[in-house]
Amino acid sequence: MPEIMRPRSIRALTFLGLRFLFGRPQREGVAGEKRARGRRGPMRAATPGDARGTQLRHSPFWGAVLGISISIIPLYIVIFISNGMIRGITDRYLETKSSHLQAMLPFNPPSQKIQDLLQAISALPGVTSASPEIDGLGLAASSAGSVSAQIRGLDQSIAQDAGYARYVRADSGALYPKSQNETVLGRYLARALRVEVGDSVTLITLRDASGETILPKMSVFRVAGIISTGYRELDANWFIIQYRAALRILNPETSYSFLGIKVADPYGADLDAVRARAVQEMRAVGLAADPDSSVRTWRTTEQGLFQSFTSTRSVLILIMALAVIVAAINLASALTTFVLEHRLEIAILKSYGLSRSQAATIFLIGGTATGTLGILAGSAVGIFISMYINQIIAGFQFLLDFFTHMLAPAAHSIALLNPDYYLEHIPINFSWTFPLITVGVSVLASALVSIIPALKSASIAPSELIRHE
Amino acid sequence: MSDPIISCEGLTKTFRSGAEELKILDGVDFELQRGSICTVLGPSGSGKSTFLAILGSLERFDSGTVRVCGYDLGMLSEKSLHVFRKAIVGFVFQFHFLLNDFTALENIALPRYIAGTTRAEAWASARKLLDLVGLSERATHYPSQLSGGERQRVAIARALVNEPTIVLADEPTGNLDAANAKEVADLIRELPSATGTTVVLVTHDAELAAVGSSSYSLKGGALECLRS
Repeated sequence: MPEIMRPRSIRALTFLGLRFLFGRPQREGVAGEKRARGRRGPMRAATPGDARGTQLRHSPFWGAVLGISISIIPLYIVIFISNGMIRGITDRYLETKSSHLQAMLPFNPPSQKIQDLLQAISALPGVTSASPEIDGLGLAASSAGSVSAQIRGLDQSIAQDAGYARYVRADSGALYPKSQNETVLGRYLARALRVEVGDSVTLITLRDASGETILPKMSVFRVAGIISTGYRELDANWFIIQYRAALRILNPETSYSFLGIKVADPYGADLDAVRARAVQEMRAVGLAADPDSSVRTWRTTEQGLFQSFTSTRSVLILIMALAVIVAAINLASALTTFVLEHRLEIAILKSYGLSRSQAATIFLIGGTATGTLGILAGSAVGIFISMYINQIIAGFQFLLDFFTHMLAPAAHSIALLNPDYYLEHIPINFSWTFPLITVGVSVLASALVSIIPALKSASIAPSELIRHE
Repeated sequence: MSDPIISCEGLTKTFRSGAEELKILDGVDFELQRGSICTVLGPSGSGKSTFLAILGSLERFDSGTVRVCGYDLGMLSEKSLHVFRKAIVGFVFQFHFLLNDFTALENIALPRYIAGTTRAEAWASARKLLDLVGLSERATHYPSQLSGGERQRVAIARALVNEPTIVLADEPTGNLDAANAKEVADLIRELPSATGTTVVLVTHDAELAAVGSSSYSLKGGALECLRS
């Protein structure tokens, strides 16, 4: 049996598959054909009923490409925004609140031991800063009312912390209280208390909670500054006072004392190594009560927050992935319909020696190419929108404000990204990992959904030509 | 006399529709020498197309033996049959079945390109055949821009592109007016001398049947020799 089939026929099958699904290229048209082309679909054998230039039907595969593109765009936007939001919020928590590592300290330890520990930990490789802190709860009161507050007793060394300085902005006044009688309030706490710089606020803490009687302690502070991290959940609670003032007013049993440690890369693998070294240093100065829990990384201290973000993101990705799966199923459906409508053409090709596997390959290539085109187009648009999401939101916000002002001047502006719940600016950290995984998985999905129509085309017998005649 | 290029012995084919059986070919014996044109005449529904489809391996048969170019078609696997169709036979149908979104040149070149030749080689072969059927000027035209006769000539060129040993033509002038039918008949008549192929032509048109060096009639499932 002469065998003239060679591997290079894959080029022919690609040529055939693409033309089969997407129709003839514009450049190959001839004069007069252009008018007819707009009314003609992709490859279909001219049959006895065809008059010149009267074949109707556009390629359904441009629609499939568009469907896949549109379905994949939200996936990128969701993943980049959620990653940006999570990273932005996590960074704010780590740099302004929980630090990268926390070395647990007893309440008011001997100052020499604190100094020794500070020196030792600051000298550890990878550590960029360390600062002691005492946190507790209290009730802040002003003439407007009272609000629960998170009291943060910060050492003035926090002012040298670049991470803290990067995210904490002063709305007015100072970033750090200059004396033990001064406080710096979070923006929304100040608003709740209706106080400004220079006003006085009363802080009610527990004097003694060990006995049956709870005795309150009332302290008055002058507001030295109002600050914001750009994230409401943090700005709504902070009542910042000096470390020494916190030692004075907070109850040892209900407060939380630690050494906040910052490293060069809090997301890096060497965080645990720094933790182990810090435990050793705490032991060396005699401050490690429990070696296992004396130093905790941010992944432990902010575990609840981190897991909440991760699970929310996973659910969002799942929902978006369902949209991509629906688009892939639509592609399979379009391909299957195409094969069923073009049995005759496939039979003709088979009468000229197209094998079952070659017939299947045509539709595998065509389906995968359709999916890939859609995925690449959707990825490009999705990445572009994600990269410029802040500008796009600002543009929409501008238009919304403009029309709101035009149509209802008395109405309040509607914030697209309400800072009460979201970051005011979404940090976008582009990485090729997600696009590469998305494109890879989606192309594979396109190939997989093309298998059934490909098998259908393989099963078409050339004898169908005889039935047709 | 040399070995026949096509031979059938006791060929039978029955179509079943539920309980009903229709015997289309009933013990057909047939032989054809290389380089000749054989015509098979018969009324519609007599089984001419089925006979042709069996010779071209498009259709399986029930019993008997069919040998084409030495290959026993009853013994070939499905995989071998597609290679057989690619290498040995070329089909011309009553309806040209050209692919609308391919030019005349591409329609001709496709079977060769699919068979694994380079694009350049397939296109060059197609150009030669367009020349042969007198349509060099129509290379970039789409089927919708060709007349019925031109389309059928392109279909004949397509049947020849893989340099088949046998061309099987099923009512190739059935849809053409008299002038176009004559053009196609003339072209078919020239095929053995121009390309060295053997032609089996099925028709119910006695005028077209005259192009054959031998002629048969198919009636009631039996093949009767009219002229040899």
